[in-house]
Amino acid sequence: MDSQIELSFEDVRGKRNTKLIRFIGDLDATNIELVLEKVSSTINEGTVNIVADFKQLRYVNSTGLGILLHFSKTAKEKGGCFKIANINENVYEIIEIIGATTLLEIYDDLEEAIAALP
Amino acid sequence: MTTKRTCIEIQEVAEAQTSAVLHLCGDLTSECIKSITEAFDSLIRQGKTFAIADMSGVTLISSAVLGEFMGCRRRLVEHGGEVVFSGLSLELRSQLNLMGATKIFRICTDIRSALNYYRWEIERRSETISVSFPPSLKLVPPLRQLVSRISRQKGYGHRDSFRIETIVDEICNNAVEHGIPGASDPVDLSVTIDPDKIEIDIRNASDPEKAASLTAMLLPDNGEIDKLKPDVRRGRGLTLIKMLSDELSVDCTSRGTSVHVKKIREE
Repeated sequence: MDSQIELSFEDVRGKRNTKLIRFIGDLDATNIELVLEKVSSTINEGTVNIVADFKQLRYVNSTGLGILLHFSKTAKEKGGCFKIANINENVYEIIEIIGATTLLEIYDDLEEAIAALP
Repeated sequence: MTTKRTCIEIQEVAEAQTSAVLHLCGDLTSECIKSITEAFDSLIRQGKTFAIADMSGVTLISSAVLGEFMGCRRRLVEHGGEVVFSGLSLELRSQLNLMGATKIFRICTDIRSALNYYRWEIERRSETISVSFPPSLKLVPPLRQLVSRISRQKGYGHRDSFRIETIVDEICNNAVEHGIPGASDPVDLSVTIDPDKIEIDIRNASDPEKAASLTAMLLPDNGEIDKLKPDVRRGRGLTLIKMLSDELSVDCTSRGTSVHVKKIREE
């Protein structure tokens, strides 16, 4: 009865060491380990620049938010970045309430997030 | 063409003192206007100002009768009541829709749903769901989604429903994670919803040490700033509940920890 979450990984044209990850579904305590494993291994393998597309991420809770902060911190420590685009307003509110909007790099859309990549 | 015989019968509703069901059948033409008027006047005299017009046996409603229903509705509304139509055939419902009557009259599928509307909108009676579940995180998503769906069905907006889903999710996760490790005692969740607010109660057989830290988190200005550190992956749930709800209290006893949350409807 885990929540459904799907991650799809795509290259970003013209950008090295970069992946676009589309999050689809709900991110919560039942699936963070799976997400943690997939995204962390990507970062650890040298893909240190991540653009996370949240267009189809319906829900995130405090535990999910915890791993987003972890990805951001890990990517920065490795000289990269973790940028988030297309957040729905409910998910944004959760991030805002926790006070994490200043800790995460959030963009209105993918174009903006990709343009801000190193 | 022969006109089908009309009959009107009033049925009291035992558990709803100010409401009654008006069973109508046959062709409702101008000939039955007087009977309809008398039936509604009788209801008003008895103080039964919420009328359910059961149309399941009705085969035709003339425009004159519809006009009379509007007059009867006006009188009921003046007495603080309402009339709703139930059991309409698809053909009649479509006809009423074309005549614009569905903008004036509430249409319910059947008497039961009309009574539910009465209890919810007129009596503003609350409804409670209670669930006991084993302390497993896997059971939390369907529970939070269930409560969110119920709130949406009860007319709460998307934003409120999302916040309610988040509160239920966080409160259940906390109850599971702060329980006595390895214990199989169930977590008891109770959700009471009414048109203005939702109250959530949860009880677990908690680990006393964890319960103490939970209570400490509720102290003013406690626990929020530390949780913003990016290397802290857990422990923000209670902060989120505090920010999303209007009341939050924790009661720790030897029998377990009970958490109560109240969330007032905003939209």
